[in-house]
Amino acid sequence: MPRLLSRRAFLLTGAALGGTALVAAVGGVGYLASVDVDGLGGSLDGGDAVLNAFLTIRDDGRIVVQVPRAEMGQGIHTGLAMVVAEELDLPFDQRISVEFPVEPLPAYSIWAQFLRVRPEEASGPAVWLGRRVLGQLGFIGTGASYSTMALWHPMRVAGASARRMLMDAAAARLGVPVADLSTGDGFVRHAASERSLSYGELARGAALLPPPDDPVLKPASEWRLIGRPQSRVDLPAKIRGEPVFGMDVVLPGMLHAAIRHAPVFGAHVGAVANEAAVRAQPGVLDVAVINNRQVAVVADSWWRAEQAAWLLDIAWTRTAADDVDSPQMTDQLWAALGGAGGDPHEHIAEGDVASVLANGDVPTIEATYEVPFVAHACMEPLNATVIVRDDGSAEAWVPSQSPFGVRSGVEQGTGWAGVETSSITCHVTMSGGAFGRRGDADVTAEAAFLAARHRGRPVKLIWSREEDIARGLFRPHAAARLSAALGPDGLPLAYDALVASQSIFQAVAGRNLPFTPSPHGDALIAEGLDKHHYAIPNRRLRSRHVPSHVPLGVWRSNGFSFNTFFSESFVDECAAAAGRDPLDYRRALLRDQPRHLAVLNRVAEIAGWGGALPPGRGRGIAIEECYRSVIAQVAEVTVAPDGEIRVERVFCAIDAGLVINPDAVAAQMEGGIVFGTTTALMSAITIRSGAVVESNFHDFPMQRIVDAPDVVVSILESSLPPGGAGEPGIVPTAAAIGNAIFAATGRRLRALPFAVTETTGERRTRSVLPADAAGA
Amino acid sequence: MVALTVNGAPVDISAAPDKPLLWALREDLGLLGPKYGCGIAQCGACRVLVDGESTPSCAIALGEVAGAAVVTIEGLAAHDGTLSPVQQAWLDEQVPQCGFCQPGFLIAVTALLASNPDPTDAEIDEALTNICRCGTYPRIRRAIHRAAAQQARA
Repeated sequence: MPRLLSRRAFLLTGAALGGTALVAAVGGVGYLASVDVDGLGGSLDGGDAVLNAFLTIRDDGRIVVQVPRAEMGQGIHTGLAMVVAEELDLPFDQRISVEFPVEPLPAYSIWAQFLRVRPEEASGPAVWLGRRVLGQLGFIGTGASYSTMALWHPMRVAGASARRMLMDAAAARLGVPVADLSTGDGFVRHAASERSLSYGELARGAALLPPPDDPVLKPASEWRLIGRPQSRVDLPAKIRGEPVFGMDVVLPGMLHAAIRHAPVFGAHVGAVANEAAVRAQPGVLDVAVINNRQVAVVADSWWRAEQAAWLLDIAWTRTAADDVDSPQMTDQLWAALGGAGGDPHEHIAEGDVASVLANGDVPTIEATYEVPFVAHACMEPLNATVIVRDDGSAEAWVPSQSPFGVRSGVEQGTGWAGVETSSITCHVTMSGGAFGRRGDADVTAEAAFLAARHRGRPVKLIWSREEDIARGLFRPHAAARLSAALGPDGLPLAYDALVASQSIFQAVAGRNLPFTPSPHGDALIAEGLDKHHYAIPNRRLRSRHVPSHVPLGVWRSNGFSFNTFFSESFVDECAAAAGRDPLDYRRALLRDQPRHLAVLNRVAEIAGWGGALPPGRGRGIAIEECYRSVIAQVAEVTVAPDGEIRVERVFCAIDAGLVINPDAVAAQMEGGIVFGTTTALMSAITIRSGAVVESNFHDFPMQRIVDAPDVVVSILESSLPPGGAGEPGIVPTAAAIGNAIFAATGRRLRALPFAVTETTGERRTRSVLPADAAGA
Repeated sequence: MVALTVNGAPVDISAAPDKPLLWALREDLGLLGPKYGCGIAQCGACRVLVDGESTPSCAIALGEVAGAAVVTIEGLAAHDGTLSPVQQAWLDEQVPQCGFCQPGFLIAVTALLASNPDPTDAEIDEALTNICRCGTYPRIRRAIHRAAAQQARA
């Protein structure tokens, strides 16, 4: 087996793709498929003993796990460090720290997510090619609830490989066979001679040894960390208020920037009428028009920059969307459901849905649902810090989900300024929430443009909350029409789903990739509608792309965030039409799905389904399979006679496959449910005259502690490999709440948000169902 | 020049008196624990204690706190680094997700427990108006009760 390139050599040569492609031509793909170029080799880097791409031991003995996924609250740094520590036989204590690696090694790429495979199961030429191409492009990102799925196995192997290298180093030092050695608590021990050497002592020697061909992984029966709750590695610093976020980056000589984007998406800067006056404001150094689209103020303090930006008198160009309002966009969606816009894309066609639905002898049911645009509203407002030096080198510090996006943002922004960069170094800081918003390159590009204008000085750009809420990107405004024909037992003989939405994938890829894909057949707007787990003999799923001027982004759980609301509400409507209990109805539909059935039964059990409830209270249930996990929730909702609605409790059961850190999964369920409750009851971005109406938390409100439901989470034991956990938590929540409102009141609500948020005092709101709600 | 006490130490800040306390803390004193989240006193990520009272620092001018004693998240732990009972409860309950809003919660809860050492759930609901987008509220509630119990024992 050829020796692996060191990670530094690997980067410097940049020859991995070309080189291996050349060898592939000579040696054949079959051989190379077994050659590991993903970074299991070690090297010395100053005082650091680099054992492989995922593990470094510092000269002070500290164990640094390189986790190439963004920590944005989901606990991924902890979960993946646990996996390495498990294989290293290390207790999970303060000796371990986690860093987001600066060098974009191929081992860190999202090839597995991109190819939709698990690394431990993947082989063959397509996988080989995908790994190399995506790895070489530095395609690193955090999303799609995929981090554990993608990295838990490679990082186990990295831990096991490093352990073996440490043992080999100890065997050489002690002059004993490696078979006589054991490990524990950060030491390699030779029991017979009662000698032991610490990992720290062994690290430099170990780093120069060849990695084992096939490191032996610890059997599950010997796990001491995986599956047992561990404390998050990032929490002590956060609880002390240490500066870990992008917004906290402070660099010598740093300038600060505030920004204004066009209210109507797509408008250009016509003129800044009072540029001279704004430039004369205290502390202001620059007023810059960025790419003809935005206006930034650069100052010696963000507060001064933002104050000056308030004064900007910008004339924006007119656009074709200047007269667009939300109701008109709703009409377009409904027209698309009615047939406008050409043939829909057919995602699924099983059996003969059309003729079953057209059969006049079978009872049919049809319903149309809708959701509005929503914003991410991460607690940490968007920001990026960039320096472009005179030698053309650039460095960026960004709370980002994607160093790939940071890099392309720097290239884009410096390109707007006509500056060529010689190198780009990306630092991914902690993110104060992300939810899909921080994968885009937009903020970095703006900061890079400003940095290129102020060469040699770092520029930190912060969007105000108003820019964050109102200036994009959004989860789409979408609608769907669902139909079913019910058989004699009340179960669907046929199920037909048509969704109308702007394509998410086209919007996101068009901004961030060097090509713009077709908007038709976007799986992201169809996910959550297929209901493949339900036993329905005839099934059809179609989508229709409805373009708009509003920029979309990926948003926590994408299509599931609305389609599961649509489809699981509709299943409830079918159950009601059949006169059956919603739980029993789903049990019947899941009769061939033991995994789903177990989750459904678990949530029913912990929720006490069927038990008596106080007056005005109802229970609703929903289930979904998403991100290779199965999740079900039961919501208990009270609707008062005056319409005030309270989500009292939400019960949640999840089969997320093998769970690394159960407490982190529980936290994601709790948080996802609160996030989902906010979305179901409160969240709407409204378009008026082409622009967003909402601007901050007073009109884009959030659940506060007084509103938040109690949450009970149950995690099922599972024999499957890890599934996703970051997004599933919010997926069934809106449907469960809507179904509970129906149970409590008999009113079927088919549009989000369910409620109107009334302000009752300072930072006080209540959610009230509108009297004239659709379907009442 | 505005003189005040921050985390026990007297400071003179040369920023304009109408600068929000939040930005004076972050930019002039380098105290980055208090966070900018909304700028309109809605979210509470910027909360600090002003003479013991939980105050959104984004919506109070530096000049208004002249002579006051301000405590930020950085001032909650003891000088030897020991976490305050509220911080320790936050760690024990593994409260934060992203953690960005938590300095404001820790300050608000510190003030709450100073005036009401054993708040009921209803009193917590009444007192806490901070926003957490990650949705850590169930753990925040547990951590408050834990901190209250811990302080009662101490």
